[in-house]
Amino acid sequence: MSKTFHLTIARVGENLFDGEAVSVELPGKDGAFTVLADHEAFVTPLKAGEAVVKVAEGKSERISIQEGGIAEVSKNQTTVLL
Amino acid sequence: MALKDIKNKIASTNRTHKVTRAMEAVSAVKMRNTQQAAFKGRPYARAALSILARLSGSADLKKHPLTQVRPVKKTALVVMTSDKGLAGGLNSGVIKAAQREIGEKKKEEVVIFAYGRKGEEYFSRRGYTIAKAIENKRDDIPLSVMEELSRELSAGFLAGDYDEVKAAYSNFKSTFEQIPTLRPLLPLSVEAVAELVKDIQPIKGKWAEQAPIESPSAYEVEPSGEEVLGVLIPKLVAVSLYHMLLEGKASEHSARMVAMKNASDKSKEVAHNFTRLYNKIRQAAITREVSEIVSGREALAS
Repeated sequence: MSKTFHLTIARVGENLFDGEAVSVELPGKDGAFTVLADHEAFVTPLKAGEAVVKVAEGKSERISIQEGGIAEVSKNQTTVLL
Repeated sequence: MALKDIKNKIASTNRTHKVTRAMEAVSAVKMRNTQQAAFKGRPYARAALSILARLSGSADLKKHPLTQVRPVKKTALVVMTSDKGLAGGLNSGVIKAAQREIGEKKKEEVVIFAYGRKGEEYFSRRGYTIAKAIENKRDDIPLSVMEELSRELSAGFLAGDYDEVKAAYSNFKSTFEQIPTLRPLLPLSVEAVAELVKDIQPIKGKWAEQAPIESPSAYEVEPSGEEVLGVLIPKLVAVSLYHMLLEGKASEHSARMVAMKNASDKSKEVAHNFTRLYNKIRQAAITREVSEIVSGREALAS
């Protein structure tokens, strides 16, 4: 069982994803990156694209990002604001 | 008053009662929906704020053009009212709050952004400059409308058309309590946004529980604080506006529901009083007739 972290992907007025995830792939402004559990804390803007959330081994969810946003990663808590 | 007049009055009062009762029911439903919408956005605002709080120590925040404090020569005022009346003292409260802010300022020193017709009517009648008037009809306003307004406000602020932006709106506390509130919007400050987020939850009820904002911890900012803030700050301004609007909506429907409830109760009471009066007069007429017949009969018998 791989380690999970808490991920929130929210747009104003609705939560697109809220729960535990193994990893999330995000389209950063300077290139895509993947966040795993225990990632170093950082903030970065996102561009339009797609977030791929891996909920468990072999099970993932795709959430499209229309206008970019901001990703905030801190210890085992990642917040994506669209 | 003739019997027939009273009868008509009763009928018309009952009709009014039906109307106000229907409006009350409609407002109650709308109120629930708007309240829910107002609180669904809470996690978002909280998250955005906590990012901002963590960056607030950095020099980049103070350097951002939308946070620059300048001497105020001209003020832009966003007035959020409803389009329709019959909502008790809601709109007049908001307008009063705006008027208090204007205070002694000259009319040239104020620009009004009216969201909702009541505010627009009030200020245009008094000769203020209306920069923009937006109708406040729908309940399910997309965020994009607010983003546009915030873009416009930010652009005006950056261009130096005005040196501060404030917003007057009605803050929803509970179904019976809405507080007209005035809040600074630009230049953006962490305190102002924090205050707004604090206001989002009502005093009691389903949504009153409060989760603390996590304390700031150090972290990496990529590629630069400037760039992150460049995305975050316009978002925060739009979200602030959006929240004020949702609060205003929830307030509007609550205030209208309460006003209509009062009207319904009152019309019931009036109808009741009229029915009493009607019965009294009718009974008086019957008694008079009976006594006339009896006395006529007695006169014949003797």
